[in-house]
Amino acid sequence: MSVSTESRRGTGYVAALRQKLPSSVLDESWQTAEQATITVTREALPEAVETLYYGHNGWMSVVVGSDERLLNGHFAVYYVLSMEGSEKSYVVVRALVPPDTMEFPSVTPKVPAAVWGEREVRDMFGLRPVGLPDERRLVLPDDWPDDLYPLRKDAMDYRLRPEVTTETETYKFINAAKSETTVVPLGPLHITSDEPGHFRLFVDGEDIIDADYRLFYVHRGMEKLAETRMGYNDVTFLADRICGICGFTHSVAYASSVENALGINVPPRAATIRTILLEVERLHSHLLNLGLACHFVGFDTGFMHFFRVREKSMELAELLTGSRKTYALNLIGGVRRDILAEQNLRTRQLIGELRGEVTRLLDILLSTPNMRQRLEGIGRLEKQVARDYSPVGPTVRGSGHHRDVRIDHPYAGYGSIPVGQHVMDGCDVLSRTLIRSQEFFDSITIIEHCLDNAPPGPVLVEGFTYTPHRFALGYTEAPRGEDIHWSMLGDNQKLYRWRCRAASYNNWPSLRYMLRGNTVSDAPIIVASIDPCYSCTDRVTVVDVRKRDATVIPYKEMERYCRERTNSPLK
Amino acid sequence: MNAAQPVTATASPESEREQATRLKRTLLHDIRRSVYVFRIDSGGCNACDIEIFAALTPVFDVERFGIKVVPSPRHADVILCTGAMTRAMRLPALRAFDAAPDPKIVIAYGACGCTGGIFHDLYCVWGGIDKIIPVDVYIPGCPPTPAATIYGFALGLGLLDQKLKATHHVEAEGEQVTVTHPRIPYGLRIALEREARRMAGYRQGREIVENFFILMEQDDGAPIRERIADFLARENDPRLAEIVHRLEEICARGNGGTDQ
Repeated sequence: MSVSTESRRGTGYVAALRQKLPSSVLDESWQTAEQATITVTREALPEAVETLYYGHNGWMSVVVGSDERLLNGHFAVYYVLSMEGSEKSYVVVRALVPPDTMEFPSVTPKVPAAVWGEREVRDMFGLRPVGLPDERRLVLPDDWPDDLYPLRKDAMDYRLRPEVTTETETYKFINAAKSETTVVPLGPLHITSDEPGHFRLFVDGEDIIDADYRLFYVHRGMEKLAETRMGYNDVTFLADRICGICGFTHSVAYASSVENALGINVPPRAATIRTILLEVERLHSHLLNLGLACHFVGFDTGFMHFFRVREKSMELAELLTGSRKTYALNLIGGVRRDILAEQNLRTRQLIGELRGEVTRLLDILLSTPNMRQRLEGIGRLEKQVARDYSPVGPTVRGSGHHRDVRIDHPYAGYGSIPVGQHVMDGCDVLSRTLIRSQEFFDSITIIEHCLDNAPPGPVLVEGFTYTPHRFALGYTEAPRGEDIHWSMLGDNQKLYRWRCRAASYNNWPSLRYMLRGNTVSDAPIIVASIDPCYSCTDRVTVVDVRKRDATVIPYKEMERYCRERTNSPLK
Repeated sequence: MNAAQPVTATASPESEREQATRLKRTLLHDIRRSVYVFRIDSGGCNACDIEIFAALTPVFDVERFGIKVVPSPRHADVILCTGAMTRAMRLPALRAFDAAPDPKIVIAYGACGCTGGIFHDLYCVWGGIDKIIPVDVYIPGCPPTPAATIYGFALGLGLLDQKLKATHHVEAEGEQVTVTHPRIPYGLRIALEREARRMAGYRQGREIVENFFILMEQDDGAPIRERIADFLARENDPRLAEIVHRLEEICARGNGGTDQ
């Protein structure tokens, strides 16, 4: 798509890159006025990413691998950087990887934030990032065969289910502790909400020395599904099902990536309706997190009250979309439902009730002395660690960084709406919790503003031209932080490549630093504070390295210990 | 690397012991206490788990029926599984299933749990809970509502019988589907429907245009403009007025023609 030169944002970064690496920049293309893709030589890739990341205030959004052998004979890797310096834009650094060697120099030694992205590219395409310090599997399960890379175009039918290669779990956990430690595994099944994940806490007495985790127990193969069985216009509904809590932000991110690629202008009314629902989802998600924060510090009455109030946000979603979860509201170019007087009135009434109830509940919560004592100074994410790993959402804002996609890269209707930004320097669980509670009231204000100022006009564009092989980014600020989607359209109205990255994906790698130095009894509340998909396990096994024996303590016991902090089960 | 062989592995569910089946009947018949439920997320997107949460906490509150979630499969009477059963969750799910004492009831929850849902044939899932462990009750929905959840539990525990109301229509000789609003020219009808959809989306658009057709066909002497003005005054909704005025403009242009 042609983007006029004057309207471009981020030209300074491209110029700086050309100046720093004069012979390495091969090509430059603009997908939208604030999205540039720079192709560099393979050798210059780490330096180019490092220059933008540390030299020009860039943050790693996502690493995309793509099998472009059908288009240009090569594999490609895309490092998407959110530039948050003087000019706010996205710069994508692209390098081609030849299919004979499959190798490219790893960026991770220079920019640690690339670690998960590079491990994933290794799993899904079999590309080798040379110099990658951590070469364990990330996404694929332990029983998946070696040498079968699902996202290569010629690798396999999407339905192929290879024979199970192992009946045991083979993942190696890394422990950076210098002295002897006790191992506390948590997971993968757990009694609270949400997805499975397996944690290993390496402890000395009560103190966590290091932690490691194995996630991706719910890897289903969505990207392959979107590239094979589904049409590009159906994927908005698939994107709803990436996450049951913040599915709508994914759906908006996907829809806007395609709209950006094809140059579709979403009608302002549709953008406003999307904004309202994005904030409804934030209401729901923050109430969920605040409720669980109560639960983990032993304030179960608060937990039940937050969950009672949360039901109103579900009612709100049902009123506006027809379903309580998985809204299925987005189409490419608009939305499927309008907001008429009836919904408008009821929405105002419900958010009024929410505002009143939550104000009261938060007042009770924050004036409970126990709460502050349990959250303050716990799970510290140092400012520099945050800078190195590019976390997003309340997690990074709690460590003093001003990052919010709604403000940095306005999308949907956010360009014309006053959005408050809440940043705190505490770097601890308390900061993250307070930020969520402040954002909750902001969301209510945004919804009211949108209802008051909803523009007239259609909610849907019909009739646009589909052009294969265009690509662009779509991005949203989910309740947990930036969601980013990179879509390349293909032949037969199917996506050639779709990469979706959820907010938690960027937050997980820094979690080990938050856990270090805390006590075991704080682990659940720390994990919950990044609002991932929640704390773990049906049971906890304690392995004492010195005694070489294992005792199994039920998860309930572990959780009880987190709440009551008496009678340690580890003794 | 080898290109893919069509060697799709299949999973076969663990079979249930005969004694367990007998015990289960007794359990269902004689359960006179609370039921303990253990949840397994075997690859869901969390929407199901959110709704299970909603069913458990105030407002819906299944604990009032004695249904309680427990932290260990060793205490469970019911195993509630969500998700399409991913490869990575097969072993943990089997371990949890084996750890639960017989007799136990397995509930597959949500579209993915019942059949694999939208993910049913993907490379990294087995396509439903019943591919790995035997299932007694299916609760469909994406996600099921808390009401559906409670209903499903009642079915599973034998408190209710499944009620299905099916009718079968056989087309009679010469039977024809009637056209709705035959007095409105076909081209105009399409143009109006399209504009309503563009302005208000699928559901509300259809409702609005339906009301508009009814107004057009009313024949009570008053001119159509007055009838519409009356209708809008009654509804008192500025957004609805905007949309209806657009539809009026199309009528005024005659046949409408295009939607632009």
